[in-house]
Amino acid sequence: MLSVLVWLPIVAAVLVGFWPGLAAERARQTCLVVATALFGWSLWLVARFDPAQGGLQFAESIAWAAELGLYYRLGVDGVSLPLVVLNALLTWIALYSSPSGVKRPRLYFALMLLVNAGLTGGFVAQNLILFVLFYELGLIPLYLLIAIWGDSERRNYAAMKFLVYTAVSGVCILGAFLGIALAAGTSAALDYNASLTTALPLQAQLILLSLLLVGFGIKIPLFPLHTWLPDAYTEASPPVAILLGGVLAKLGTYGLLRFGLGLFPETWHLVAPGLASLGALTAAMGALAALAQKDIKRMVAYSSIGHMGYVLLAMAAATHLSLLGAVLQMVSHGLILAVLFHLVGVIESKVGTRDLDVLNGLMNPVRGLPLVSILLLVAGMASAGIPGLVGFIAEFLILQGSFPVFPVQTLLCVVCSGLTAVYFVILLSRTCFGRLDNATAYYPAVGWSERTPALILTVLILVFGLRPGWLTIWSEKTTGEMAASVNTPGPVARVASKIPQVRSIPLNPLSTLP
Amino acid sequence: MAMVETLVQSVWWIPGYSLIGAVSALPWFPGLIRRTGPRPSGYVNLLMTLFAFVHALVLLVSTWGQPPVRLSLTWLATAGLDLTVPLEVSSLSLGAVVVICGLNLFAQVYAIGYLEMDWGWARLFALLGLFEAGICALVLCDSLFFSYCLLEILTLGTYLLVGFWFNQPLVVSGARDAFLTKRVGDLFLLMGVLAILPLAGTWNFSELAVWSTTAKVDPTVAFLLGLALIAGPVGKCAQFPLHLWLDEAMEGPLPSTILRNSVVVATGAWVLIKLQPVLALSPLTGSVLIAIGAVSALGGVLVALAQVDIKRALSYLVTAYMGIIFIAVGSGQTEAAFLLLLTHAVSSALLVMSTGSVVFTCITQDLSQLGGLWGRRPVAGLSYLIGAAGLVALPPFGSFWAYLKLIDGLWGTAPGLIALLLVVNALAAYGLGRVFALVWLGKPGQMSERAPEPFWLISLPTALLAGFSLHLPLVLQFSGLLPVWDDFHLEAAVLLTVSCLSGLLGVRLRWVELPWKTVQTLLANDFYTAAAYRQTVILGVDLVSRLVNHIDRHVIDGLVNLVGHLSLFSGEGLKYSTTGRTQFYTLTILVGVVVMGLLVSLSYISNLPILAVD
Repeated sequence: MLSVLVWLPIVAAVLVGFWPGLAAERARQTCLVVATALFGWSLWLVARFDPAQGGLQFAESIAWAAELGLYYRLGVDGVSLPLVVLNALLTWIALYSSPSGVKRPRLYFALMLLVNAGLTGGFVAQNLILFVLFYELGLIPLYLLIAIWGDSERRNYAAMKFLVYTAVSGVCILGAFLGIALAAGTSAALDYNASLTTALPLQAQLILLSLLLVGFGIKIPLFPLHTWLPDAYTEASPPVAILLGGVLAKLGTYGLLRFGLGLFPETWHLVAPGLASLGALTAAMGALAALAQKDIKRMVAYSSIGHMGYVLLAMAAATHLSLLGAVLQMVSHGLILAVLFHLVGVIESKVGTRDLDVLNGLMNPVRGLPLVSILLLVAGMASAGIPGLVGFIAEFLILQGSFPVFPVQTLLCVVCSGLTAVYFVILLSRTCFGRLDNATAYYPAVGWSERTPALILTVLILVFGLRPGWLTIWSEKTTGEMAASVNTPGPVARVASKIPQVRSIPLNPLSTLP
Repeated sequence: MAMVETLVQSVWWIPGYSLIGAVSALPWFPGLIRRTGPRPSGYVNLLMTLFAFVHALVLLVSTWGQPPVRLSLTWLATAGLDLTVPLEVSSLSLGAVVVICGLNLFAQVYAIGYLEMDWGWARLFALLGLFEAGICALVLCDSLFFSYCLLEILTLGTYLLVGFWFNQPLVVSGARDAFLTKRVGDLFLLMGVLAILPLAGTWNFSELAVWSTTAKVDPTVAFLLGLALIAGPVGKCAQFPLHLWLDEAMEGPLPSTILRNSVVVATGAWVLIKLQPVLALSPLTGSVLIAIGAVSALGGVLVALAQVDIKRALSYLVTAYMGIIFIAVGSGQTEAAFLLLLTHAVSSALLVMSTGSVVFTCITQDLSQLGGLWGRRPVAGLSYLIGAAGLVALPPFGSFWAYLKLIDGLWGTAPGLIALLLVVNALAAYGLGRVFALVWLGKPGQMSERAPEPFWLISLPTALLAGFSLHLPLVLQFSGLLPVWDDFHLEAAVLLTVSCLSGLLGVRLRWVELPWKTVQTLLANDFYTAAAYRQTVILGVDLVSRLVNHIDRHVIDGLVNLVGHLSLFSGEGLKYSTTGRTQFYTLTILVGVVVMGLLVSLSYISNLPILAVD
């Protein structure tokens, strides 16, 4: 079942890449068919998924290289299932919004499918080495996609930076995983076995967890490991940016949740306060830097950093509600960021600029881009957390879930959410509102092929905003079990309790709340 | 009885109608439907509001005097968090719904006349529908959490409604400031929402009231919680120091101002009144409320005196009256607060409608260019007088009773506040008299030479609302809301009546500007609040964001680039040293080698006998 999701795009990528004499349009259509099939398949998985069960479902296991500890072991639970579906959906959106006139189309479409395979593999892999393999599989195609099909002269720089950073991230993660096997003394530890990792000495757990934090922190990205992101997102073409921001960043948060919190539930308490502060700092830094941008794509890129900060805070708090909120935020952020990048791409292709100081009056119903403006408004407001849209409920669950544990950091995140509103209002006021310059306003019409992806995503943002229960139901059980595993005091937690003042933050009277 | 029950169950429909109207207007905006023009969108919304009004009225009449009915619908229940929408169907909430729907009905008819030639009908009516739905839902819902959600949605609505004529720079900045100011308040409210759940375990207003009677909360926590909770209403009600947006919002279309000055600002006050038991946990919060209210009441009414823009002269009075409601809530007098909310809404809407009809035909809002309209515009003039009489404490009109109730509650305990209320009332009367004299009395100004009464779509709703305003005391008496005369201090009534006489002074003096230059400039510029914000908060955020961006680009990224330049992996370095795409082949190989090397060494390492654990 899950193998189809992983192997179908790989096979299709090979076919599209090497089938002799395949025309560009045909390649695009093939890929779209494949993406539709993948999305349909992932929906079928959803239909078959049992939300009352917290553990892995649809598990598959084959011994691949057992002596290396490498098993081909797949499975999904409530945390990975929404991300698998999100990945399939956004791949479809990205392929649909890629014109068949891109240069070197067959390579392009093949690489897009490979990225999809790598990401899906990452979400479903239950063996540590297998995860790293998939993690790396997504890396090279994305590097090429930025370097070859990027927007401007800086694309090589951006792509290289992305590659170097992510390679370091991969090495850190691999190192941590190998360290787990080493410390546990058995390659069985590579098969996602929390009972082995929790038995390690506290010191070893801390070192391994820190290594994972750096590794996944680059991918998420966390302050100060984030500087690859604005360049990569801005230079990537919109469809690639959708995959980068919509799905790839989630591989980082997902990995941290699965392998950081999942394998080291008791040590988690030790790093949690720092992690929560780092999350709040990341949120603040993303929001403040976004405020200073003049390029709307770069602004959206920084906003993405800010929103990942909330996820980090939620994971640090590790209550049931906050973890559920984290999963919800991953999905909602994927949807919102995808629609934002898509719309920014449409504006750039029609108006010819992304400069805030040049753009003006696009809401004009006759010669502007009214529908694009309205959709941009909805997306911006969803990102700023206006109720009724999916961004709000995700952030709210995070904030409410984290408040009892980390009140100061949570309140800081609330302030950041206000700053998010500030820069989106600036963006909307400058681009959509204002007077359209009649001398230059001869924009090409926006076609349905450009509207459709944005409309689909906007409808999803609205529907899930009004009925968040349709999203939470899948992850409720799994996140509950995760929260329980963190909050059950084990042998290490008892040691940790002897270290004075690990969790208390005597900064604010609110921290005395029950 | 079963009939009534079904009717109560159907209360969902009341916000539903206008929401349907709002959604069904959408196709007309981006020009999907061109053949009909935008008008049908307006008519659909008008019809839907009429449905809502009739429905609410029938419901109010049939459930009059019965105990409140509670309904609930689960929206989301997950991970131990139960987000159930509780509705409270009581005579109070239904009465408020009737007022809201009725005012929106008037405003929409008015808009059909006022914006006859505008191309943005669909947007305007959709937003008016959204506002009606949001405010009705707010009034009906009994939960702090959902009230917060609705307030946020209304904040977005204000942004779009003020930004209606988005071609003009002043409109754009007005919409932006309205959104951001309200959002600041909302976010503090959100902090309060987050903080109150672990303490009280509920967001339902009725349960919070019960909880706060026995709650033992640390005084500091209670004070901070109270501050966070009142920040939302401070933004919504345009109280000092978050009052600027209401003034700038006057750039929006006038029909929306009818709703904004009457019921939209009242949303904040409504939530505040509902939260009164929680706020009473900390006496300090009450003092802060009274202080904010007093500053806003006095400041607002003073600034109004120096305005030459007719809409602004009225909008600052709204700030002042909301300030009085803050005082009422701060001193625990919720009944007086509710009463004032009602009388202010009706009178304020009437004032906007009557002055709007002047703006419509005279094309100017500048008080110095108007005058002498009494002979030509009797309907508007009379409506204005009725509105003014209903707003100040002039017996027997509406607000008199609210004032009386409030002062009676403060009698003997807070003479200072009573004096303040009297001064505010006197200044408000003076300001209203001044506007009346400048518009309707004297010689016709340049812009008011030719000014007929506008056509019926504008005049009729104005006249009807004036009629209702006149009957408001009777309605109050019929509903048993009018205080019993004997219980009151006669002195209070006399003092209030006398303080209204200053209105005559305003008529007599007819000052366009105050004769004291410094005072006039200070008040006309709203105590330089905008400039103060520009020099502090806005400048600060701007500087910090630039600094963060600078650090990000040049320090953190600079460090990365430095390391990159020094190392083999440098993107820039490779760009200059190689041509073509060889660089990623190199890298692919490098990464592959690293990965494979580690994989291979794993089997080595894990098989090393030294490391094997026995």
